[in-house]
Amino acid sequence: MKITFVKKIKIDGSPCRKCAEVQSRLEKDGYIDKIDRTVIADERDNNSEGIQLATLYEVDRAPFFIVESDVGDPLIYTVYFKFVNEILSGKTNEEDTAKDILDSNDLDFI
Amino acid sequence: MIIKNFDPKQLAQEYDGLSPAAIIKLALKSFDKIAISFSGAEDVVLVDIATKINPNVKVFSLDTGRLHPETYRFIEQVRAHYNIEIDVLSPDAKAVQDLVRSKGLYSFYKDGHKECCSIRKVIPLRRHLAVLDAWITGQRKDQSPDTRNAVPVVEKDAAFSSADKNFYKFNPLANWSSAEVWEYIRSNDVPFNALHEQGFSSIGCEPCTRPVLPNQHEREGRWWWEESTQKECGLHVADQKK
Ligand code: SF4
Repeated sequence: MKITFVKKIKIDGSPCRKCAEVQSRLEKDGYIDKIDRTVIADERDNNSEGIQLATLYEVDRAPFFIVESDVGDPLIYTVYFKFVNEILSGKTNEEDTAKDILDSNDLDFI
Repeated sequence: MIIKNFDPKQLAQEYDGLSPAAIIKLALKSFDKIAISFSGAEDVVLVDIATKINPNVKVFSLDTGRLHPETYRFIEQVRAHYNIEIDVLSPDAKAVQDLVRSKGLYSFYKDGHKECCSIRKVIPLRRHLAVLDAWITGQRKDQSPDTRNAVPVVEKDAAFSSADKNFYKFNPLANWSSAEVWEYIRSNDVPFNALHEQGFSSIGCEPCTRPVLPNQHEREGRWWWEESTQKECGLHVADQKK
């Protein structure tokens, strides 16, 4: 299995807050060693590898994970806790999970 | 009971033009472990329709501890009016205490609403939904035209599904406009939250909701101070000139 972590540089050149947060959670939760490659999606440069990957896999959020294995198509995860639960068989803390849910879903109606 | 081979995509197409009552009937027929999420606002329409179909329908409300007094009174009024039980869900007391101790009572004005909403809304909601197979919400397309155009009347709920379990969401009011909701409320003598008479079209927590002017979109009445940071997780491809 090969795991690629794609993080974003914003159009104004600043780093993406959510990407930094996910990176520090990977470190804090002890999963950073499971990441084989980290790739940058630079919003200022369509040719940056991360933008190319986002286009290839039709991803419109960042950060995201690409999980490749010998069988089947690569799996794409845009939600940290789902990636940790399903790929690393790990658990994330309830509050961070709730924030991931809010970040990746429109729950304004609740 | 869960209908075998429940196919939300196909059902969403089939039921898209049908009435909220038909969609609620489908929901209640398809799942036993299902509940209505009632926010204390105009989603009371769901309760009105559903109790006519099944008077014992399960209803829950999220009590964030920060609702308007009018909303608490309204939830109580609805409980009595329809003679139903309403599960009023409270956030974890320790998590709230820790947040308030470290960041005060109004951290959302500085840090954004997500941390507080996670503790006061999403965690209790997630725990409650964990024992259900589906929920019914008052989500409508017209509430947030930029992001909600794709609200199907029934869908697999990506937020609360897991690798082991599919979880479903019914949005019977998805295709109704605010005007249609209010037409229903008026013509069926449905009770409503007194805040609506004070200019509130969207009702949430007291510190995070404000009345809007005519012609202002209802979403402008929620978390108005953090509009610019909403889309930070999007990935935009540069429009590069050659
Ligand atoms: S709406 Fe405001 S007060 Fe209510 S839970 Fe969210 S941030 Fe906290």
